[in-house]
Amino acid sequence: MNTYVILRRRGWRTIDALRESAKRAESAVERAPDEVRWIRSYLLAEPDGCVGTVCVYEASSPEAIRAHARRAGLPVDEIVAVTETLVLEPDPVGAAA
Amino acid sequence: MTIVATERLLERDEYVEALLAAAAGLTAGGGRLALVGAEAGGGKTALVQAVIARLPDGVRVLQGACDPLFAPRPLGPFADVAAACGGELRRFVERGARPHEVIGELLDQLRGAPTVLVLEDLHWADESTLDLLRLLGRRVEGLEAVVIGTYRDDELGAVHPFRIVLGDLESTTAVLRLRLPALSPEAVRQLASPHGVDAADLYAKTAGNPFFVTEVLAGGADAVPATVRDAVLAREARLAPSARGLLDVVAVASPQAELWLLERVAGDLLDELETCLASGMLAATDEAVAFRHELARLAVEESLPPNRRVELHRQVLSALEAHATGVSGIDYARAAYHAEAAGDAEAVLRYAAAAGDYAGELGASREAAAQYARALRFADHLDVRARAELLERSAYASYLAGELEEALKTQQRALECHRELGDRLRAGDSLRSFSRLLRYVGRTDEAMVIGREAVAELEPSGAGRELGLAYCNLSHLYMHREDEAGTAKWGERALELAERLGDQEIAVYALLNLGNVDQIKGRGVEKLERSLELALDAGLEEHAGRAFVSLTWWWARGRSFAPADEYFEQGLEYCTERGLDLWRHFLLAYRALSCLDRGRWDEAVEAASPVLLDPRTSPVPRITALAVLGLVRARRGDPEAWPPLDEAWAAAEPTAELQRIEPVAAARAEALWLQGRGDEVPEATKLALELALEREAWWIVGELACWRRRTGVEEEVPALSEPWAAELSGDPLRAAGLWAALDAPYEAALARAGADDEEAPATALEELRRLGARPAAAIVARRLRKRGFRSLPRGPRPATKANPAGLTARQLEVLGLVAEGLPNAEIADRLVLSRRTVDHHVSAILRKLGARTRGEAVATWQKIGSPSSRK
Repeated sequence: MNTYVILRRRGWRTIDALRESAKRAESAVERAPDEVRWIRSYLLAEPDGCVGTVCVYEASSPEAIRAHARRAGLPVDEIVAVTETLVLEPDPVGAAA
Repeated sequence: MTIVATERLLERDEYVEALLAAAAGLTAGGGRLALVGAEAGGGKTALVQAVIARLPDGVRVLQGACDPLFAPRPLGPFADVAAACGGELRRFVERGARPHEVIGELLDQLRGAPTVLVLEDLHWADESTLDLLRLLGRRVEGLEAVVIGTYRDDELGAVHPFRIVLGDLESTTAVLRLRLPALSPEAVRQLASPHGVDAADLYAKTAGNPFFVTEVLAGGADAVPATVRDAVLAREARLAPSARGLLDVVAVASPQAELWLLERVAGDLLDELETCLASGMLAATDEAVAFRHELARLAVEESLPPNRRVELHRQVLSALEAHATGVSGIDYARAAYHAEAAGDAEAVLRYAAAAGDYAGELGASREAAAQYARALRFADHLDVRARAELLERSAYASYLAGELEEALKTQQRALECHRELGDRLRAGDSLRSFSRLLRYVGRTDEAMVIGREAVAELEPSGAGRELGLAYCNLSHLYMHREDEAGTAKWGERALELAERLGDQEIAVYALLNLGNVDQIKGRGVEKLERSLELALDAGLEEHAGRAFVSLTWWWARGRSFAPADEYFEQGLEYCTERGLDLWRHFLLAYRALSCLDRGRWDEAVEAASPVLLDPRTSPVPRITALAVLGLVRARRGDPEAWPPLDEAWAAAEPTAELQRIEPVAAARAEALWLQGRGDEVPEATKLALELALEREAWWIVGELACWRRRTGVEEEVPALSEPWAAELSGDPLRAAGLWAALDAPYEAALARAGADDEEAPATALEELRRLGARPAAAIVARRLRKRGFRSLPRGPRPATKANPAGLTARQLEVLGLVAEGLPNAEIADRLVLSRRTVDHHVSAILRKLGARTRGEAVATWQKIGSPSSRK
């Protein structure tokens, strides 16, 4: 498994639409637990009032990330491979919710 | 076969219910393939028996199991099923019919009445069984049958043959996959409490493994043993010595001990049978007994002192032999297993060779290769002629099984034997096989040297069949060098000989090579089509497979996707049914390439995956699949584009074959351009361009020249094929139009982006975004900005980004009709498509939407994707 950051900028109009997606994302992970693990996501306040996300996943390949997104109906703008993680402080609760 | 007592089944209700629900749906006509995975001792058999016990009346149950033998009998579990069904199916399986011949009879049987077909221990399945399972999985939806397959998932490495079948069945919607977890601490506590065993310790040592837990509790020891083996042996130790003696015999007589066998080997101990059955260590089936669980059998067998084990195997073997002469033929695979364990060289040679021949006839080439290899381990004292014969058969089986390095080694040893005997005809034929193998592993220069040597060796012996095949082989090698004169020279000699000898195979093989050269030179497909027809008529499966591959390749390479798709689908069906894995991989790799060219990234990856996952893949289709994967990643701007592209290049370069080198060179050039490393393109395309010019392959010259031009190389290029010529002559819009007409939207957009006017590049930008080609879109946007366009279209609006499930336009159309409640046949009529194409689309839709039924797919789509939900 490798670690990836996935950008989904301006993917949803409202926070509710995003929460619906999150449920589907979770069940899509359950369908292929050997291939993808959802670690955490940051919800972005986009300038035009939309909602976007930055997600951290572990996956067997970029294609596994794409397949997961397809199953759950999530947009994908960009997938970036993570080489190393530097954690200085735990995520502030507000930002990680 | 493993037989497990069904007394207390904890934490399995939801799994039993899921399987019963599948069985309950039978009358509605929706067959299912349910695959149940668990670790060894995880309670698979117990689950299946609980389901069987609760099936409604009128549901027939058929059961078969795979044997835990190294190289088991082909079609093992289906032989059990056929014996129970009788009739045509039984006759077919008994006379050694191949999977594609058996499937029809099996389907007829399964159509007869609602049926639950249980196939146990598929992790041990032979190749023919897996081929048949693959066929069954693709057809089960139309049957009144639930096929329940069980397997140990802790024994499936990434490259296990059954894992590969699982991957292939992934896209089949009728597949239901269950994984049985270990027992929870709570369940272990419930089981332990009547026995007064320390539940925490029991859970800690067994990790909740149901078999381990049962063994410990049945053993009644004070302390919990540390391993499964200890638990089994502790339980065995409580029996009297004579009962343990009987257990030893049953443990050796894997997979089961028939009563006649026990009478011969352990007649004096038979009185103990009842004790052993009552102890719960053994269970009885029809006229045979077996350990309740394979793990227990293994523990007991491994505890035997080596000399006793050898002695028992020897006795079992002679019992099998004595029984066989009287009643029926001997099971060669079983006899070979005992012969090897008994160290009886003569018997191994006899039975392993026969088992190899039998497996080969059934198309189980992996088992055939394993049996021949087993025989060869005992062949030191065989005379040279017999050894040569065995080596030839072994090499051919390894080749068919895709174990090419092994085949090469064995073929070389066979050659040495023929030389030792001074048999020029066999030596020449062996050289020809050796040359073919060298080509398959990418050692093309050596293949040519050896191929010529084969002809030189055979010509003095006169115009026989061997010489004809050697001519064909040389013609084939020249064909892969795109050398028209060489291909024609040897191909025509072969055709002449074929006519004189009246030999179909040589004629087909020669026509295939000549037909491929016709294609390279743009002269049409008549010869290829004729060779396919002849091969199909004569049942020359290998050649038919190759003809399907050639036709798929050439149509796809010239971007004529409709005929390419047709040959791909027919060919895939043909090769899958017959277990022609090498050709299946070629077809899938070329399919991947043709999806890539049409901008269908997901489908391209899906076709390439089985090729990349199978460790036995020949390097040749693997190169193509790697290039496709790397390029899909590069086009989407996903990470890790270079590892596959680098591996592809490392494998392609030494072949010196343009057909291998060109797709990789072009893919690398594009990836470099997309990543802003255009200055490296001239070097990356140099070798391929030189080869293409030398071999006058104008389509390829055009493709490479375009990439060089796009990265700033100014050079004169001779005669070119369209649409490349249009772009290079400075008419990108005409090129774009030609690409669009070929259904190559990505190429069209790249060409359009090069136009000087204002509209075209902006259209290209939108098209590239629609295709999800982020890096190319960024390049075009940057270029537009540099030229002063300020009002570029922004990215797509929220929630309208592509469509969430990635359905194609055609799939959306099909889904619309599914939503209207139309069956596939009517959808096919409405859209003027074949029934199979519609089946295909519906499966793809269900998969993409993660739905199990049509209704679920429609509901999911209305929730996530339909235009109405986006407002």
